[in-house]
Amino acid sequence: MNRTLNVIRMQLVNRQTYLWVPVIILSGSLVISLAIYGIIAGAGVTEPIYGGGAQAPLWYFAVVGAQALTLTFPFSQAMSVTRREFYLGTLLTAGATAALLAIIFVAGGLIEQATNGWGMNGYFFYLPWIWEAGPAAAGLFFFALASMFFVVGFWGATIFKRFGATVLTIVILGIGLLLVGLLWLVGRLDAWMQVFAWIGDQGALGLTLWGLLLIAVLAGTSYLTLRRTVP
Amino acid sequence: MTTVIEVNSLTKRYRDTLAVDDVSFTIEKDTIYGLLGRNGAGKTTVMSILTAQNFATHGEIRIFGEDPYENAKVLSCMCFVRESQKYPEDATPRHAFRIARLFYPHWDQDFADRLIDDFQLPVKKTIKKLSRGQLSAVGVIIGLASRAEITFFDEPYLGLDAVARQIFYDRLLEDYAEHPRTVILSSHLIDEVSNLLERVIVIDKGRIIMDEETDAVRDRAANIVGETSAVDAFIAGREVIHRESLGRVSSVTVLGELTADDLARLTDAGLDVAPVSLQQLIVRTTQHAAGASADATAGEPASDIDEGARR
Repeated sequence: MNRTLNVIRMQLVNRQTYLWVPVIILSGSLVISLAIYGIIAGAGVTEPIYGGGAQAPLWYFAVVGAQALTLTFPFSQAMSVTRREFYLGTLLTAGATAALLAIIFVAGGLIEQATNGWGMNGYFFYLPWIWEAGPAAAGLFFFALASMFFVVGFWGATIFKRFGATVLTIVILGIGLLLVGLLWLVGRLDAWMQVFAWIGDQGALGLTLWGLLLIAVLAGTSYLTLRRTVP
Repeated sequence: MTTVIEVNSLTKRYRDTLAVDDVSFTIEKDTIYGLLGRNGAGKTTVMSILTAQNFATHGEIRIFGEDPYENAKVLSCMCFVRESQKYPEDATPRHAFRIARLFYPHWDQDFADRLIDDFQLPVKKTIKKLSRGQLSAVGVIIGLASRAEITFFDEPYLGLDAVARQIFYDRLLEDYAEHPRTVILSSHLIDEVSNLLERVIVIDKGRIIMDEETDAVRDRAANIVGETSAVDAFIAGREVIHRESLGRVSSVTVLGELTADDLARLTDAGLDVAPVSLQQLIVRTTQHAAGASADATAGEPASDIDEGARR
């Protein structure tokens, strides 16, 4: 267990990747969004303004997930860390950082609600449909979303490392084809109304739980792939 | 002697090449081994399978009597920094050493600091920007300061200048004297490391062609130098592995230990005996073995070892 915790310290020994870069991305996109809101509000728009700038650090999580494997896994092997220890430690690191990000997002959303959208009705963190089940559910949503980006990056990188670029491309294309096939099937069955109704019924909280299931599947397959991966 | 590593008919096959071919050997506790051979002979593959970084196609390995795969107890007793080691993104040597300290129970920070000074390693530069020699120094420092029970050095001297290489050899011997451990040093600069080695394992095309005490290897052959006719008379009936002539003087390398009788005959004939360098002997026997199995390939271009021998 001690060695698994040390893997977390190994991942975090360089504060750059897990701390400063996400902070810079988040504050950068916040400042840009608020500036734009300022311009819009200054033009006399009184409607609430929502933006997608908060996504920026989430995308970065996919990059971190991939790098945690391609660069840190070979080094962990030189440190005589088992694959299991590396895997658990890395996912714990991802979970902890995703939790931290979720706390920041919830805090930001609460501030925005309290200040009436920074006094100009502009919202960066607060999106009504995510917050409809309350701040805790919103936090869980952000946590699941950040974890999912990380796990997707990590999952892709394990397949790349174990089987190479060709197999990874085929897998991604295969999943793409499968999704297109699903879209076709829904259209064919004339079931779009039911699908949207279902998504609406689930709400942010329901989607979060489905997201957690997807994370578990991806994380599980990553582990099975990693077990026989050579650095 | 206690056996720490036991390898039984280890084979590693990549799609169409046989990297390691049915290899068996044992490694004893507190001994310095040389794992010698040409590039691509299978040295790195063997070391990475022993440390469970890579997987055998078949065969069995035992480290302290256990399977090392996913075995934290056994793995934490081994240190293997490969020659082409990758480091985390944006990591500096200082980060790498801080992490090594977390995982190696016998890590000695003072020793690491001394080595950093010795190698004049810039610890705050990112590893990506280090020169080849500085990169090797990072691996060497981790290998030495971790004081793991079994330490592997994979061509540790790449890019290091002569002074830095000597520092590595000196520090390794000093520290080994104080903290005995098992060291496996892979190298193709055989003569440079030959004084460190207590045993040599020579691997060629995935097979072990020599596994002996260094001293015994040295005694296996001798250089007879002198007037050509006298040399020829002496070597009659002996196995010659190499011969060079310059004018009327010849230098002939013969296999077999020289008896007291032989030595007396040599003195009478006015011939000199010169020791054979480990590198030359290994090169000659490797070529000899290759020549015996397929003499058609005698014109094969010089290998790395061979070039080294001529330098």
